[in-house]
Amino acid sequence: MSQERIERELSSLRDGGIVAELLTQASRPVVLYRGVPTGGAPLSLPATTDVIVPVPDGYPAAPIDLAGLPTGSPLLSRLRGGQNNQGNVTADGRNWQLASYHPHSNGGGPPYDPQLHGFHTYLDQLIAWLHRID
Amino acid sequence: MQDVTVHISKPQWSTLAPHLFSRYPNSEWATWLEFGWRASADSLALAVRHCDLPRAGELDDAVAHVAFQEPYSLRIALQAEKHPFAVGVAHSHPKTCLPIASSIDDDMDGYYSDYLSGFTGDRPYPSLIFSEVDGEVIGSGRVWRSGRWHPVTRIVLEGRAIPTWVAGNPPIEKPILEKRVARLSGAMGRRAAQRLRDARIGVVGAGGTGAPAIEILARAGVGHLIVVDPDTVDHSNLERVHGAYESDVARNRSKVEVARDHVRAIDPEISLTGLVGRIPQPQVVDALAQCNVILGCTDQQHSRLALNEIALRYCIPVIDTGVTLEGTDGQVNAQIIQLLHLAAGSACVVCRGMVDWKRIGQELMNPEEQLRRRNAALEARQRGEDPHGYWDDLPQLNTVGYLTTAAASLAAGCAIGLVTGAFSSGFERAQWTYFATPIEALAWHEHRNSHCFCARIEGVGAQCPEEQMVNCPAHWQAVRAV
Repeated sequence: MSQERIERELSSLRDGGIVAELLTQASRPVVLYRGVPTGGAPLSLPATTDVIVPVPDGYPAAPIDLAGLPTGSPLLSRLRGGQNNQGNVTADGRNWQLASYHPHSNGGGPPYDPQLHGFHTYLDQLIAWLHRID
Repeated sequence: MQDVTVHISKPQWSTLAPHLFSRYPNSEWATWLEFGWRASADSLALAVRHCDLPRAGELDDAVAHVAFQEPYSLRIALQAEKHPFAVGVAHSHPKTCLPIASSIDDDMDGYYSDYLSGFTGDRPYPSLIFSEVDGEVIGSGRVWRSGRWHPVTRIVLEGRAIPTWVAGNPPIEKPILEKRVARLSGAMGRRAAQRLRDARIGVVGAGGTGAPAIEILARAGVGHLIVVDPDTVDHSNLERVHGAYESDVARNRSKVEVARDHVRAIDPEISLTGLVGRIPQPQVVDALAQCNVILGCTDQQHSRLALNEIALRYCIPVIDTGVTLEGTDGQVNAQIIQLLHLAAGSACVVCRGMVDWKRIGQELMNPEEQLRRRNAALEARQRGEDPHGYWDDLPQLNTVGYLTTAAASLAAGCAIGLVTGAFSSGFERAQWTYFATPIEALAWHEHRNSHCFCARIEGVGAQCPEEQMVNCPAHWQAVRAV
């Protein structure tokens, strides 16, 4: 894991007012994005949510993939891949469920390129995902 | 410090040498340099990253020796506060004069090592001397680090070490086995045999291609081999791995141990550093950073990319091999060997479009996650859904011993050419299609993408960690030396 690179990426998000942090003390290293907007409000679902994204082994050569919401989040059953549990993570004192969300592998986003993409650009994918609610 | 190696790439040397020798034969000249560096407990590797040549008037051209003017040193020192690299000096001695530090040199190094520490903290301060004696460039150097001087033990120009005087003494040459290498000496000269004996060559991967390459290099008399591989020998390797036997499979021996014993049987005087591990694990990179040349003999994409990063960061040429054998129903229709010469100034594997990031991600995943994703892909297929997001099956690459040995021979030959200076491979990428009619041989040049990360990491050493593409997964086992 390139901690220096991830911190640089998250720093660029923080400059724009986004709260995101690298958690290395979790059951696996993750990036936690706080208060990410969703399209849930008109459906009486949370308008924002915290999201975790696992740091892949060998990052950045290994592509970023998946996304996790707090276990029990009402959004999970309404989001693409949310019902397909891809593992559980303990981070930030909470339990999280990883959804089957693969934006860089034919999942709606561009093919992964570590020279273009990172945890700063992944936020765009997350926001798009959280606005496509069934 | 046991090993202090300075690497200089061909592009940097083409700037440095004409400048240093511009007042030859009688007068010296100098320049400040930036170095990438990597320190371990017993070694230091330095790579020349940038020659910060003097501007008009920044060196005193009224005297024959080197006299830095204060604005030059101040300019370099202030720049050093803004980057993480080591800063040092290189200067020439007059033609035919040995590169032994004079009392003026001692004063200069004493002054600048102290002066620069106020700007660079505990970064090394290297000082190099070059001169031309009997038509050959020779050198010496020392590095101020942790409160004392360490002699430079080797200066390597694009794979070929120049005669390096160490602490005022002439280069120590390892004894060569004259009778054994008589044919090689006859063809390339005795100097070539000596250079091979004094060389250090890394081989990453000790399987089908690595094992024969190691054998060829050992028989050629290479004095020090560094062999890296994480795996043990299994039955399917015995068709290709030179020196491996059924008994090695039964004893679950590592490929590195097999290579070590095979090399010892060929020539017990060869030093072999065997590391059961992977690149870029730090202990492995520490050892490889001391090499003249590295051979890449793995079929893992992350290894190829990590090796390319080492080639660029430490200015060490890498010859990477690839072998493909394709066929169906008992008919072979393609047998291809490809070699890449990865070096400073050339396109990297990313520029060349040879990297599949998803495959690298799969290679680097821990085994539990690999299994979980394979199962998820299987279930997706059963549901009639796209399994691509979970896992892409990697094709099993089939190959045979004659092909891997041929590839190894070509790669080892390239390394021998680089180390001895007797010939140059002359290609950046070359491909041989065997048993076509006629046998095809292609070589081509590929352009570097100026926006690619490779343009930013040349000669940076271990600095700029945020630019490192391949990082070690936590699940990899620790490196084991054998």
